[in-house]
Amino acid sequence: MTGTMTAPTSASAGAAAVDVRIEDDASPVVRLIARTLRDAAQAGHAIDALNRSAGTVAIRSHDTPQSATITFGDNGIDVSSGVPAEPDAALTVDLNARFAPTADPSGDADLAAGVLRALTPPLPGWRDAAQRFWDATRSLPGIPDVLIAVTEGPEGLEQAVLGDGSTQYLIAGAPETLAGVFSGADDLMAVLSSGALGIQGTLSQLSVMTGASWKVRFDV
Amino acid sequence: MSELSTTATRAPLRDSGARTVRLEATNHEGCFLGKNVSPKKFAAGKDAGFAFADLLFGLDLGNAPAFGSAYPAWRGHLDDVYLRPDMSTMVEWKPGLDSVIGDYWLKDGTPVPICPRNLVRKMAERLAGHGFTATVAVEIEATVFEESIHEARARGYRDLTPLGGSAGTAYHLAKSKDWTDYMNAVADRLDEVGIEWEAWSDEDAAGQIELNLAPGDPVKVGDAWARTRQIMREVAFERGHSVTFMAKPTAGYGQASHLNLSLQHDGDNAFYAEDGPSATMLHAIGGLLATMEGNTSIVLPQITSYRRLVDLSGPPVTISWGISNKTAAVRAVCGHPKYSRLEYRLPGADANLYLALAGVLAGVIAGIERKIDPPEQVTDMAWCLPPGLGIERIPDTISKAAAALDADPILRELLGDEFVDCWIASRKWEWMQFHTAGGDPFAELSEWESVRYFELP
Repeated sequence: MTGTMTAPTSASAGAAAVDVRIEDDASPVVRLIARTLRDAAQAGHAIDALNRSAGTVAIRSHDTPQSATITFGDNGIDVSSGVPAEPDAALTVDLNARFAPTADPSGDADLAAGVLRALTPPLPGWRDAAQRFWDATRSLPGIPDVLIAVTEGPEGLEQAVLGDGSTQYLIAGAPETLAGVFSGADDLMAVLSSGALGIQGTLSQLSVMTGASWKVRFDV
Repeated sequence: MSELSTTATRAPLRDSGARTVRLEATNHEGCFLGKNVSPKKFAAGKDAGFAFADLLFGLDLGNAPAFGSAYPAWRGHLDDVYLRPDMSTMVEWKPGLDSVIGDYWLKDGTPVPICPRNLVRKMAERLAGHGFTATVAVEIEATVFEESIHEARARGYRDLTPLGGSAGTAYHLAKSKDWTDYMNAVADRLDEVGIEWEAWSDEDAAGQIELNLAPGDPVKVGDAWARTRQIMREVAFERGHSVTFMAKPTAGYGQASHLNLSLQHDGDNAFYAEDGPSATMLHAIGGLLATMEGNTSIVLPQITSYRRLVDLSGPPVTISWGISNKTAAVRAVCGHPKYSRLEYRLPGADANLYLALAGVLAGVIAGIERKIDPPEQVTDMAWCLPPGLGIERIPDTISKAAAALDADPILRELLGDEFVDCWIASRKWEWMQFHTAGGDPFAELSEWESVRYFELP
């Protein structure tokens, strides 16, 4: 069985319908790439690259054995584990830095550049990202009733309060940081470990929020 | 009020003269954990229990907190659970050190829902409610290496030298003396501690051993299993060797933990019938096969566990049973009033035996209570079967097996939602750690696995 999703799921200006498929029991890196490509399509970003009808691109992590292949075809895009012996292009990237390349691409330069563009869609605004995060994760068991996102804007502290109820969880950070975590571009625990994020809640809630972060980042 | 009878904590202390009492129990992963206390402290706490931080059920094998899902209600901010010693397990481990196994309880006197030993007892008591007494036995498989554990660590647990040489495996007696010396020393220690063993032999891989413990009550066999592994590690350490219970310590052969099971009713073997499996045995098989996909997550707990599932290599790969058929997942041994039994061949050597027993007994209970009829037995070889025969393959990744357990209503009912949810969350964490923190799914055995699983659980 193959997982599939056609972006966009909601109407967005410039969005394109691109079928992005993953294999059964897909690994996190496969899920991360597929989710990112869907986000790009939904944002109308790098549409020319996403609509290619041929080409295989190998993606390797710079610091772990994680690897995946993006295959463009007439009917959409397939993302699968591992890399073929001779891809048309190959990229080595930092998976925890939004696919930043850590070495020069090899193979078809245009294809590699197009894929890199597709893997770096613009982040939504932090409020929009928080709302999407909440919509995707609010039904997870143990998720707090209320999510409060706090940041410092030009006018001082700004916050978004999502949900309603007695238990709440607060996440505070710079707008770009919040947008990265809430959109799935960044991993919650990695950002938290860097000190760029403040949180207030219980240990159990942090565990749930970690699972919520996986959901938006890896679609699991 | 506890749903279980409490353990025998009221027994008087032995006057052994021990300077230290070691409290012992496994966590969910199967690690043998504990604490050393003074005799005075032990006497003061043996009835109320000894505090342990709840994180013993929340850390992964790399010592990181396993996140990803909601904690059960009893877990707080590193709150305490209580280990109550079962005084019937008290032994002199060595001069000056007594050892006692216990169970984990909550402040309110109820068992920790994911305490492995409590879960086995719960299943045994449920079987007893139907008039059945379970007798189980376990085959412990391990691989011993010439190098010390310090040397093994320095080498990243790879490229080690199998003890006893590599010329010939399975039942060979022509092993070098260091190999037999090791196992004789293990047997001596088992005798000293009072663990009854039946046999040991050379197994299917270089340096590999199979050790058979005597059949018995499920909880007691679980205790004997945990202590035997501790003894095997201690003896290896004393002799400058290393031993591992990894599912696959090298890219070669794997290691199993086959379980044998029979049920007694009014003193008779309920699995015995003159002409084949009894009706009780058939229902037990039916339950075991109905729960096998979900139980796979419990008996094949780690990433490496699934690397064993290769056709023609020994482990079962299909949800199948057969009389005297060791290629099937459940082998039925029939026709003998004493020895008629089932062999559940799926567990890896890395399984927590308490949990494996709980899962297997849950399957048997379900089969008996629901009168589940098994499918036709497999009379052919159960490896390499073509699709279309109606014989499903065993889930072959940690994530597929966890999904199967999540969807298993029988195991959820019998083992409890709390255990199942906690277990699935910990397997999801393990899957994520493997993929994102250095494991290589395309290697025969990745360095990440050697480091994570050689010494633990």
